[in-house]
Amino acid sequence: MPARYPAGAAVLERRYRRLLRCYPPTDREEMLGVLLAAARPGQRTPGLRQAVNLAACGLVIRVRRIPGWLAADAGQDALAVVSLIAPAVVVILLALGRGAMDATAAARVPFWTLLPILPSLGESVVVLAWLAVVVLGLLDCRRTAAVIASISLTLAWLAVLTASVQQSGGLSQGLFQFLGTVDVPVVLASLAACSLALSPGPLRGLAIVGWRRACLMIAGLSAGFGFPSIVQLVHPAAPSGDLAFRLLGVLAIAVAVAVTLVPGPVGRRVAGLVAAGLLPSLAATVPSRLYGGLAAWLVILLVAVLVWPVAIVSWRGRVRRASRAG
Amino acid sequence: MYEYDVKKRSMQEPTFLILTALAAGPQHGYGIITDAERISGGVTRLQTGTLYMALDRLRSAGLVEPDREEVADGRLRRYYRLTDEGAALLAAETRRRRARAAVAAQRLRARLAGGTA
Repeated sequence: MPARYPAGAAVLERRYRRLLRCYPPTDREEMLGVLLAAARPGQRTPGLRQAVNLAACGLVIRVRRIPGWLAADAGQDALAVVSLIAPAVVVILLALGRGAMDATAAARVPFWTLLPILPSLGESVVVLAWLAVVVLGLLDCRRTAAVIASISLTLAWLAVLTASVQQSGGLSQGLFQFLGTVDVPVVLASLAACSLALSPGPLRGLAIVGWRRACLMIAGLSAGFGFPSIVQLVHPAAPSGDLAFRLLGVLAIAVAVAVTLVPGPVGRRVAGLVAAGLLPSLAATVPSRLYGGLAAWLVILLVAVLVWPVAIVSWRGRVRRASRAG
Repeated sequence: MYEYDVKKRSMQEPTFLILTALAAGPQHGYGIITDAERISGGVTRLQTGTLYMALDRLRSAGLVEPDREEVADGRLRRYYRLTDEGAALLAAETRRRRARAAVAAQRLRARLAGGTA
């Protein structure tokens, strides 16, 4: 620390550095110099107004740079990795969910009564469709895979919503059941569809992460997102509706995202995209008496739709770069 | 390329002060803050976050650009300069504000003289 800075400036500098984490790394040292130069003699803490100003403006800068962050090469590479892992995770989650339902039912009734609730034709078609998406993606038929993913996603939404409404006999109850049966897989399915359509594709993703890392990411994310189903498979009487259970589910997803992170700019973007699947689970922890369950439903809808403009921004960046190079 | 439509929107005060401060020559962040305060007659003291949010936007729009970097008192100091596009936009904004000020001055003179313009 230069001599003209008094001892208390070290404390102030430490506090400013914490606030400056809101800013891109390239701006922090420069801003720190400005903040310390403008500090009052003896000042040890940023004032509330200054702290709020620094945090808010840093956030604005970060958000403003998101299109560039996505449109960069690393953004497209991240989408390519997502197009590789997301369809596989969706297949595994569908299977886990089906298994959990069977385990829960088997815990309550004699097994011979389970025959009527074996997978329906519709459920089987959805699982097969997503298996086809995985295979077609690896065969470099990503546009066909994207079309199948989009169609099955739309049909899955409609089928589950219709079944929930019919089963409950009322629309508001149908929403609650919709929440219970359509969770993370819908957002991940939407991510899978848009990344297949608007990225270089799963083979590019495979070239970036390799088979071993890809399998680790798929296994880790399936375990995280499928945490409630896995627990119910092992312990069918587990209280899946409890807040603590849901919070554990959110934690499992967060850990899975962090653990399977690929180092570097591509990995950060992959984590950011996949973590979008965390939001519905977080929203589901909001007590239903506060928003009547609508919070989770709206978050699912919003996130599943918003991943598309994110992918489009990234794709347009790639097209612009290609046209400049051409 | 600047997408800001000068015919439809007025320039915000912090932006005007920053561009005016840089019109005199390249300055670093703290220099811009103190110069902007002097230009505004002591009325406006830019917060550091506001300054860098504006600089980020002005850089993206091509109105300012980094000039050079120095190390002073062990701290990194980055200087910014006004681009030709930034100078043109500042000139257009100055003309607009001068025109508005002229109308206000004329009406105030008429009011003082006992009539309305």
